[in-house]
This record gives sequence, structure tokens and C-alpha cells, in this order.
Amino acid sequence: MSLFIRNYKPGSVYNAQIIWRYHSNKVDMAKKEEEEEFRVLDILKTRTRLQKKVARRTDIQPDRSEKMKTDQNWGNVWPGPRSFHPSSVPLPMRQGYVPKGQAPPGKKANAELMKVPNFLHLTPPVIKMQCEAIKKFCTPWPELLNNEEAIEKNYPVEIITSDYCHASPTIRNPLSRIATLRIKLSDLKLDKHARDKFLRLVGDKYNESTDLVTITADRCPIRKQNLDYVNYLLTACYYESWNVEDWEKDKTLEDMEYYDFDQNPSKANLVSWFMRVSKKGDLSDEEIKVFDINNIPHGPEYKKAVSDLFNNSESDQTLQDYDAAVRKLLGLPEKKVAQ
Amino acid sequence: MYTNLAIPRQWSRLACFCRSLTSVEGQKLPQAGKSSDGISPPPRIPRGPTDILQALAATVGTDPTAAHYKYHDDPYLIPLSNFRKRSYALSAEAGKKAAAWVRDQHPELFTTREWDPPMKMKTPYFNADPHIEAFAPKPIYNDETKVTEEDLVYTIKNALLEDAVKVFELLGGVDNVNEELKLYFLQLICFYNEKEPVSNEWIEERWFSTATKERQATTWKLGGLADKIFTSMDPKTPEAYCSLIKGMAKYYQAERAYALSREALENNVPLSTDVYNSLLVCIGFLKEGVTLRIEALLELLNEMNQQGITPNTGTLTSCLRSLSAWGGGKTLQNMALQIIAEFKNIGIEPNLSAYYYLLCLFCKERGPRIDILSGILTELEKKDTLEPEDVADTSFFITAMSVCSEHLQDMNLAERVHKLLMKGDNYKLVGDAYKESIYYRHLVTVACRHAPFERTMELLDTLIPNIYVPEPTVMEEIIKVLELGGAGERLSETWSQLVVFGHARRLRLVERLLDAMCACISYQDEEVKSKIRKSAADMLKFYQMVEERNENVTTRTPVQKLSAVALSNIIDLCSTGEEPESWEAIQLAVNELGSASGAGRADVISTVATTAAKKGQHALAASALTYLAECGFPEAMSASVDTLSVMLNRSTEEVETMLQGTDLQGKLQESAMAVVQAYRMAKTGEPLRERDSSESSSDSESSSDEE
Repeated sequence: MSLFIRNYKPGSVYNAQIIWRYHSNKVDMAKKEEEEEFRVLDILKTRTRLQKKVARRTDIQPDRSEKMKTDQNWGNVWPGPRSFHPSSVPLPMRQGYVPKGQAPPGKKANAELMKVPNFLHLTPPVIKMQCEAIKKFCTPWPELLNNEEAIEKNYPVEIITSDYCHASPTIRNPLSRIATLRIKLSDLKLDKHARDKFLRLVGDKYNESTDLVTITADRCPIRKQNLDYVNYLLTACYYESWNVEDWEKDKTLEDMEYYDFDQNPSKANLVSWFMRVSKKGDLSDEEIKVFDINNIPHGPEYKKAVSDLFNNSESDQTLQDYDAAVRKLLGLPEKKVAQ
Repeated sequence: MYTNLAIPRQWSRLACFCRSLTSVEGQKLPQAGKSSDGISPPPRIPRGPTDILQALAATVGTDPTAAHYKYHDDPYLIPLSNFRKRSYALSAEAGKKAAAWVRDQHPELFTTREWDPPMKMKTPYFNADPHIEAFAPKPIYNDETKVTEEDLVYTIKNALLEDAVKVFELLGGVDNVNEELKLYFLQLICFYNEKEPVSNEWIEERWFSTATKERQATTWKLGGLADKIFTSMDPKTPEAYCSLIKGMAKYYQAERAYALSREALENNVPLSTDVYNSLLVCIGFLKEGVTLRIEALLELLNEMNQQGITPNTGTLTSCLRSLSAWGGGKTLQNMALQIIAEFKNIGIEPNLSAYYYLLCLFCKERGPRIDILSGILTELEKKDTLEPEDVADTSFFITAMSVCSEHLQDMNLAERVHKLLMKGDNYKLVGDAYKESIYYRHLVTVACRHAPFERTMELLDTLIPNIYVPEPTVMEEIIKVLELGGAGERLSETWSQLVVFGHARRLRLVERLLDAMCACISYQDEEVKSKIRKSAADMLKFYQMVEERNENVTTRTPVQKLSAVALSNIIDLCSTGEEPESWEAIQLAVNELGSASGAGRADVISTVATTAAKKGQHALAASALTYLAECGFPEAMSASVDTLSVMLNRSTEEVETMLQGTDLQGKLQESAMAVVQAYRMAKTGEPLRERDSSESSSDSESSSDEE
């Protein structure tokens, strides 16, 4: 109130008003006389509208921040998110860019302060109080789930959703409907065939380097529906991968998605070569198929080198390995490194 | 757009990673109720959809520096007077109403739903914005509308009374509507008496509509739509009878209601408890005289017993309502206590309205002091929450507080009532704006009169101005308390409060304030004194400004001018300081004195004349003394002598002898001469002739001075 009295100068503004009005009237009259040659008879006596006096507010109170007690509960003053208002915040805030050496502008009429989102409603005591208030709805954390491994072991499925909080008239954001499901492939119980089929089904949703299958759904309008959908997708893929269809038996060597040494002519060549060398006589195709490579000295190394060469494409390393394996198999001396 | 988006982290402000508990192969949902095995989560604590919000809201208390949240939190927009509070809130609501009107007039513009939130890419199949019934345009029914019975059901369900009547007519009136719908419609119009209620949507309108005591007049529309529908109904169901009787009783058509109930009894139509409750209220209109009325009351209660109808809380409330309406006196009071005791025997506790009627019955103005309030409070304090059950429930707190303030004059009881109102959610029972303001008027009055000073100040600081703006009478009480407590600083602030609350033009209050300031200023700190001086000077300026405005604009009620006493009070206050501003104010006040009504305080003016002379402001001293002399105060002579002695720096004896001499013209300065004139005027009481000459002489003298 003291501020109010200090700033309160009765009369001065009011008088200025009158003088200004008088002045403006005079200018108007002068103009009229210049433009109009004849006076027009004003029968209806239409009065030119007088300049409305701007009512002077005498009762502007001082900022309420001045009346605040130092031990007040700030949470009551600023209970929710709000843009900054200088008269309600009892802090000597300054913000804004100014040339070097000057002080930034104060809090009054400072758009810079109003633009930035503030967290005045989330002071530590308020957060503490709110946590206490909603504690009664919380249940204790299961005590055996005390580390990451335990959590991953017991709850292998990970669901990722996002909540959005922004300063706009609406509280909704379409992006919050998107649901993502992640699971380690090793956590699924799959045999070789099922794993192969599963990978074919999920396609590029499987990341080899992290062993994670990520399924994202955004086609339904509500998060709940999307969650149901990703769960459905996972379940469907899983059971589908265990199914063996009749046509799967028709898979030929050309259909193989990787190089299988045991089914390829390489093995037949190796075995027949070995038989010839060891002079044991020829084997039939069936016998070649069941022949164990381990019986051949350096056989497994050769198998690995060949498989690598086909599966991992040609590179210096694979070629070198193949070279070494063949030399060992044939009993040739090791390659001399060019000096 | 989102398919390749594994984790939309770049957009997310708050991303929540949660491990799902949904069942996949080999995994089980946690069984609710099963004890925790250390891995599965414990069963969920059940909660409603808004429980968390309510828990969070409960952490927020009231902020006495802030206005109600319906107003903008800005010094320019916070209303500080009752008038502004009302007009701001209603203006905001008028805007809403205008919007609703446009919406209802052009429903075709509001058929589409907005994209929520507005985005660059609009997917036609997705919109999360839910349809909200309350925001949708209301259907408009006129003569051309094609209506079905569904429309009637809709209008009845939403209590759109006028629309319901229209639809009813369009459907073909009483003959073409089926019996069930007719009954619903009858119930609606009986409840509202064919008058459109103020919609629940307009909170502020309901809050500010001054519902003073309901007129107890027969407003029931005889031969109206309700009667027509009732006669057309065949067979007449008990529900139809009940609703018609209740409607008649509610709108004080007592005779017809009673007659109809007799008719129902003759036809063996069972009546409900509510019907009897409403009939109990009507007894006062049927019978004259306390004894006859009590007889009729007991008769009705006995009849209920015979019919095998169990009474409820409403029955008790209706009985007490009737009793309290029939005046006071021992008989009625004993009867009320007897009824309450009997109801307690069958396990029915009185509710807030029952207590309200009890207070009305026992605590009469000018009646003997009966303290039944403390007993009632003890009962109510035992309850956790007070649930509103009856319309009169909202009158309880205001009546209780007025009993505290006027009947019992007990601050401790008043504090108990206030505490009960502030407990939990009970503030909803305060009623409307009118009741709230009366409640606080009583509270502040009783605090001012009967509470210790500190407690009163604490209360005032929390209530004023945001919760309650004191009315002039209450303001006077507050000034009185401040004067008694010697709170100079608060008194000086009171002036700006008066301006802000819109009471500054009430002369009585301002003069009262000035008196209080004068009484207190002598023992204040220097700082406080200067504040008081400032506000006193400000009052003077304010009234001058108002006067100026009065001259320019003819208002309906011209503001009175400050009286001479008030002016001399201002002079008194300002003369305690040295600042040039306060002496300017004194100058102004002395000039004003001549045209002010009444007579000023001579002692103050003579003192200020001497002080002014000491300070060298001779002209001021002279005009003060002239005023004194013109008014014919006996002090004028001695004061003139004193002032002259100061001016001329001589002893009083010398001055007196000098004054005995006749020819002083030319020897003295202008102002000293004026003092001499004043002295002579006071002595002889014959001013006029001398005045003329003195003016001419002073003119000549001033010219001679210049030489």
C-alpha cells in the first residue's frame, strides 16, 4: 500500500487530459474551417462525439509479491504450471541479452522470462509433499528384482511408450500412441528351424548385433490397441515359426539361405578325396552324407574355412584361412610370407 | 511416418520406459491377491480415476495474497471491491454464454471435430480428441422441428424445461404421449413449477444471484400444464399423486396439496415419506394458532405411523422447519426438543438444516440468550464430513455465525464455527456470494468486538481483501479496533484500502478514520507518523480531485466535501511533521476551511497558526487566524497575540500594548496586518467594514513594500 501512495499523484494526469482534449478540439475546428466553404445547417443537432475520458484507475494495488510472508508455503502461491508473472514471484529475476557491461532487464514486462517454460511449481519441497501424498497408492518394489540381470531374466519383454507434456491447448499427442516391444531373441524358446523361420518372419526387425527383436506399432489410434497389437504380432510370429508346413520339405540346396557344408558337393569331394587317398574304396551318396568329418585329419578346420568363405563372403582373412586349411589338409608346407 | 521410429526420443519430453507385465509365452500375469514371491509385483491398490489428482490437490492450501482462481492473477485485473468481484466474474461468464449462444445458433459449424493437436500431417483415420457432450451444440426445438419421444426423454433427462414443454406440445400434448413419459414429464414440471431453472453450467450466475429469503408465496400455477397432465392420466398412479402433491407443497399451494392427499387416501393410493415431509411444511398455511398447528403436526405424524411409512431425516427437518416458522416461545421450543429426542430414539440424527431451524427457533433477536450452538457444534465436530442434504443446509453456517456475533457474542464459538467450515470439503456449504459475505461480516464483527487485538489482525490479514471485502459498517468496526489497538501503521494503510475497496467517497468513514488517526498519532514512531501524514495529505488531494471532477461532470450523487472538523484533523496530523508536502497540505486545508461545513477545531488551528509563524509561513498563519476570527472562536484573540509575538519577535505583553494602539497601518507587513485584522475582528465581532479597508490598505502596503 505504501507503494501505491508513493506513486499516486492525483490531479496531474487528469489535468494533462483536459489540456490535451482542448488542444485536439482546437485542431479539429481549425481543419474544418479550412476545408468547408459554407457552414451547414445542423438541424438534428448531432453532437460530435466527445473524446471519452479514459477512466483513471486509482485502485491498482501493489504487487502481491510484496505482501508475501517470508515463511509462506510457495506451493500454495504457485500450485501448477503457469507462465511467469512478475507480480506473483517475489524473486529479483533478470533475463535478457544486453550489450556488455549492462544489467539484464528486470522481471517486469520481460518477455524473455515469459517465453521460457518455468518450473516454479516443482520446487523440491513441493515435489516431496506430492510424493508423500501419492505414496498411499504405491506398492513396494519386489525385493528380488534388485538388479538389471534379475529384471531382464524375469521380465524379458520390454515395452517402450512415450508420454508427452507440452504447452499447448490440448493434452493429447498422437505420438504417444506408438508402442514398441523389445525382446532378446535368445529368450525365446526356438529350435534351429523355428529360429530360422522366426527371423524370416520378423525380417529387419531383428538386430543381429544386439540380438534384439523390436516390434513397433502405430496403426491404431490408442496406445492400448497398439500394445495389444505388438503382443499379438510377437505371439503370432512365435507360433508360426514352430509350424512346419508341407512345402518346407521341398527346400532344395538352391533355397538354402546359408552355405551348409554338409549338404554341398564340397563335403562329397572332400570325403571321396579322403577315401581315395586312404585307399578305402568308394562310398555311396548316403554314406557320404553321414560320414563324420572329424575322422579326416584337419577336416573340421577345412569345413570351417569353406563355410566362412561362403557365408561371410570373400575377404583377405577368409581367403587366408582357406589357404592355410587347404595346405594343412593336403600336407603342403606353410605359405612363405614374401619378404 | 512412424514405422521406422524405434524410440521417438527426439520428440519426447518425458519418455517412459516401462517393462510390460503382459503375458507372453512362459510368463504369467501377476495374480492379484497373491502374496509377493519377490518377483511378481504386489496386488494393485485400487483407486478411482481422479484419486491421484485429488491427493495432489489436497497438498495445495490457500494463499491469502492471491485472489480466487477465477480471476486473473495480475494487479490490474485482481478485483478488490465487491462490485468489481461480481462484475469481473459475471463478465467472464457472459463471454461463455455468448459463445454458447453462437454455438447453439449455428450448430452446423460445429459438426466436425478439430485435429488434436493440430499437426502438419493429418491422418484421416486418427483423432484422439474425444467427443464431449457438454461442448456439443444443444438441439433447438421450434414449431418446425420434427420430434420423437426420444427428444422428450433427452430434454427431461437434461432438465431443459422449456424445450421439454415445446417437445411435449409438438408431440401432440396430453393425448399422444404414453403414460410412462407423461409421468416423467409431470415429475419434471412439478419439481420446477414450469419455470426454467438456471443451468448448472453457469456457476457464477448461481453464485452471485442474490437468493435472499425465498418468498413464501403461492407460486404454483393453478390449472397449469401439470394439472392438465394429471387429469389426463388414467389410471392415476401413486407416483403421479406423489409428484403433484410434492410440487404443490413446494410452491405453497397448501390447500390443494392437502386436499389431494386426502383424495389419495380415500382412493387407497399409497403416499411416500417425501409427500408427508412436504405436507408437514404446509401445515402453517392451513391452520392458525400455535396449538392448532401443533395438533395438526402430531396428527400428520400419527397418520404416517398408521400408514406404515417410516420417517427419515427429511421428516425431522420438515417438522423443525414448520415449528421455526411459527414464531418463538417456550411451547414451540419444547415441542422441537421433544421431536428431536423422539427421532433420536428411532436412530435419526438431525442434519444441518434441522440445526439451522433449531437456531432460528431458539436464538431470536432480543430473546433470552440460549446457548444451544455449542452443543450443536460438538455434535457436528464429531462427523468427518458434512454432506449437503437439504437446500437449507447452506444457511446453517451463516446463521451460526450470526448467532455467535449477535446473540451470544462469543469469539471462541465463532472460531469453532469457522474451523468447522474450513475443515475438509465443508466450504461448499457456505452457500452463495451473498451468504458468504454476510458470514464474514459477522465473523469480522465478532472478532473486532470480542477478540484480542493480535488475533483480530491475523484474521483480517488472511481474509481481506481477497476472500472478503468489508462493507462500510464493518470497516468502521475495524477502524475502531485499530484505534483502540493504537496501530498507526495499519491506520495509515486503511486509507489506501478505503480507496481500493471503493469506500473512499464515504465521508463518514473517512472522518472516522481521521479521528482515529488523530487519537493515535501522538505515540507513534517517526516513520509511522510520516506515513499517517502522507495518507492524510492524500485524502485531501483525493477529495479535491473528486470535487474538480464533480464540477466537470454532473454525477447523480455528488460527493460531499470534507467537513471542517475533518480538515482540521488533517491539519492536526500534518502539522506534526516537517516535510514540505505536509505543509502544502496544511495550506490547502486552511484554504478549504472557509467553504467547509461545520466549525473546525479551534485549538488545532490556533496551534498550527503559531507553528506556521515560527516556520516563517506568515501568510498561512494569517489565513488560519482569519478563519478562526470569522467563525467567532474565543481562541482567536489569544492565538492572534501569540502568532504576532512570534512574527514580530516580541513578547506577548509588548504585542498586546501595540494592539491597543490604533494606527498600525504601514508599520507592519501584509500578513502581520491580516493577523491584526483577525484580532480586531475577534475582539469586536465586526469584521466587514474593516475588511474592505484592510484589503485596500494591504494593496497599498504591498506596493509600498516593493518600493
